[in-house]
Amino acid sequence: MQPKFNINRPPISDDEINKYKNFEQLVKQFKQQSIQKAKHDKSWWKSKKVRYSAVIAGITVICTISYFALFNKSNTTKTNEKIITQNKETKGPEEIKGTEKTKFINAPSTKITIPYTIYKINNTKGGEIIHPTSSKIKIPKNSFIDKNGKDIVGDVTIEYREFHDIGDVIVSGIPMLYDSANTKHNFETAGMFDIKGSQNGEPVFIKKDKNLEVELASHTNETKFNQYYLDTVKKNWQYIKKDEVHFNKLSVNDDVRQSEQNQKLSNESPKLSLLKNQIEVIIPKKIDSVKIVYTKKVETLPKAKEPFKPNKPSGRQTFQIDADKKEYPELAAFDNILFEIGLENKNYTKEMSDITWNDVQISEGPQKGKNYLLTLTYRKRSEKLIVYPLLSGKDLEKAQQNYQQKFKEYESLAEKHKADEVKLMDELKAKQIAYLTDIKNKQAEYDKEIKKIEIQMQQQQQNQLATQYNAMSNSTKAMRTFQISNFGIFNSDCPHAQPLGKTINPIFLANNVVFLPDIIYVVEHNSKVVFTLSYADNYQFNYNPTNQYSIVIFRNNKLFICDKNAFNTTASNNSNKFNVTELQNGVDNLIDFKKALEI
Amino acid sequence: MFNSAVNMTINSAYHHTSQQLHEELVIIEAAKLNPERFDVLYNKYYKQIFNFVYQRLDCKDTAFDLTGQVFLKAMLHLQTYEFKGVPFASWLYRIAQNELLQLFRHVKNKRAINADIGDLRFICEETEEPFFEEYLPAIKKLITLLNDEDLQMVELRFFEKRPFKEIAELLDITESNAKVKMHRVVEKLRIEIKKLKL
Repeated sequence: MQPKFNINRPPISDDEINKYKNFEQLVKQFKQQSIQKAKHDKSWWKSKKVRYSAVIAGITVICTISYFALFNKSNTTKTNEKIITQNKETKGPEEIKGTEKTKFINAPSTKITIPYTIYKINNTKGGEIIHPTSSKIKIPKNSFIDKNGKDIVGDVTIEYREFHDIGDVIVSGIPMLYDSANTKHNFETAGMFDIKGSQNGEPVFIKKDKNLEVELASHTNETKFNQYYLDTVKKNWQYIKKDEVHFNKLSVNDDVRQSEQNQKLSNESPKLSLLKNQIEVIIPKKIDSVKIVYTKKVETLPKAKEPFKPNKPSGRQTFQIDADKKEYPELAAFDNILFEIGLENKNYTKEMSDITWNDVQISEGPQKGKNYLLTLTYRKRSEKLIVYPLLSGKDLEKAQQNYQQKFKEYESLAEKHKADEVKLMDELKAKQIAYLTDIKNKQAEYDKEIKKIEIQMQQQQQNQLATQYNAMSNSTKAMRTFQISNFGIFNSDCPHAQPLGKTINPIFLANNVVFLPDIIYVVEHNSKVVFTLSYADNYQFNYNPTNQYSIVIFRNNKLFICDKNAFNTTASNNSNKFNVTELQNGVDNLIDFKKALEI
Repeated sequence: MFNSAVNMTINSAYHHTSQQLHEELVIIEAAKLNPERFDVLYNKYYKQIFNFVYQRLDCKDTAFDLTGQVFLKAMLHLQTYEFKGVPFASWLYRIAQNELLQLFRHVKNKRAINADIGDLRFICEETEEPFFEEYLPAIKKLITLLNDEDLQMVELRFFEKRPFKEIAELLDITESNAKVKMHRVVEKLRIEIKKLKL
């Protein structure tokens, strides 16, 4: 049959088209058909894998039942004993390990884990374990029994690990959801620990009338927390009691350390080092140099030279130089001058006056201008005499007059020299006093500055201590005491309600490609709470726009993070597409993980 | 040859930039997780799919019903959807095409051809033959006598004015293959239209 051919058929308006649009109806139909399809879908049975698995599972169940029926009859009484002995609300670790734990506690990564620390404790002696975090586990003697209720003989292996922050909580895989009267809360932890006991690979149990005391070193001293035990069978946290908190006093630095620190700080202060330099180096150098300058000035003052008094003949042996003026013209100056032999000439003998000497030389004597050295030579003989020129008659009178005048000049010059020297020395003294005053002032300023810095230091230290105290993440602020009557996971927690605010259905993109995560955690940094998003809820969650959040995603053992900024950007754009970044180089340790999470 | 006669630019309703493709993919993945988020795709493509369906039908109500069926099938089989670098619409068109074929198999008289006079003039221009009003009944007959595959090519190319790239994506063939197929249809029509003048 040929199709009908319409020419220029009027188009249907957009309004009419939109009138027929009914998405709700479509979803209803989809749901109905999906249910029907699921009911009638037997395709899974066609799979060989499913068939073989079913057969194997069936055989395994039959074999297991048969085995217990045949070989485990005799142990029935003992098992009962165990139940009676334990008689605790919660189940023993064996049950947790064997059945539910693997499902309920699901560590998201095999790379980043918190390992157990293993301790050995003698059951008959008991003892105290001190964990590296300062936590203490006090074990009374004879606390442990085996699965048959018999006292353990010998060493018991205690495996212990702690979780303190959201990073620890995430990698632990321990669910932090708390269902209280059908209201769901998420826990903020003040510290959580997981403790196990065994001997030779077999689990041990805590005796009914014994309790282990665990003093958990907590990173917070807040008192809002309660104690809970994780019941892995009921898959919920069980409230134990209000938490007991023992506060720790922070050690304050002793005086010596403080003074050392002050010294260190003062060395680092530019003003102080400047003052110190002035006091210890610059001003003393100025004092030294001014002394040198003034000493030189004094030295360079014109010195008065005392004139020599003209000598009169004393009665000692005298002589005149009688030399040929042509042959010895240099001696012409000493013509008519009478010389007296000095008393110091021990070599002088009278016979020396009788000798006609071949050669005579006159040079300056030891007392310049006062005496002369007379060298007399006769053949190989040579004699040296110190001689004093003598004046007599008119020459002497003239010389004496001259001497008087020169002596007066000398006296006035000497006086002036003395006055100048005194003046310079006074100047030097004044300058030195000024410098010393400067040093004193600077020392006072230095002391004042030191005091100021000390005060600053004290304040800084107090602030530092306060900051350290508040920001303390790896040190203990308080001890939380747990009395535990069975092994398992214990927590000091504060339940938080699901955040109110915006609801979001997130889509996750890694390298701009949409992907489905295996496990998603939303971290609320303000309340230190971790929320696990559920696939059943289409990963829908609420968030408070005023708080800070990060998203942690595990997929195929790879770790992806949407940090605070990225979350904030997406949320503030009212978008639901969260770009997550894979942690580079396959982060495989807790420290790097926490660093990436900005905690 | 074809482009000169029928000047068709990119169909913005169909064509997507790589960013748009990506954004669409995000929505698809979200809809896979939560069917209620399929609404974005439903609202985006409802009109396009309805027009495609109604183009091949005479009855408006049937077209609306069938459009609803197309989206229901899409939702039911969304988990099997694989991104191939083309808009999601091409997948919906293929579902629509299958639904139409199924309908025509059961109710043969439901098939209709809808065209404007201008579209028929385009066909004549493409065959390089002049168009006269008196040829109209004969041309209509020629078109109705085309087999399903050729008719589909004519509808996509001349009545819906889709570029070859889009036709290729809708039919899941290469662009050159689409051109070859179109060329053959036009040749057939040219021969038949020539015969009308004799």
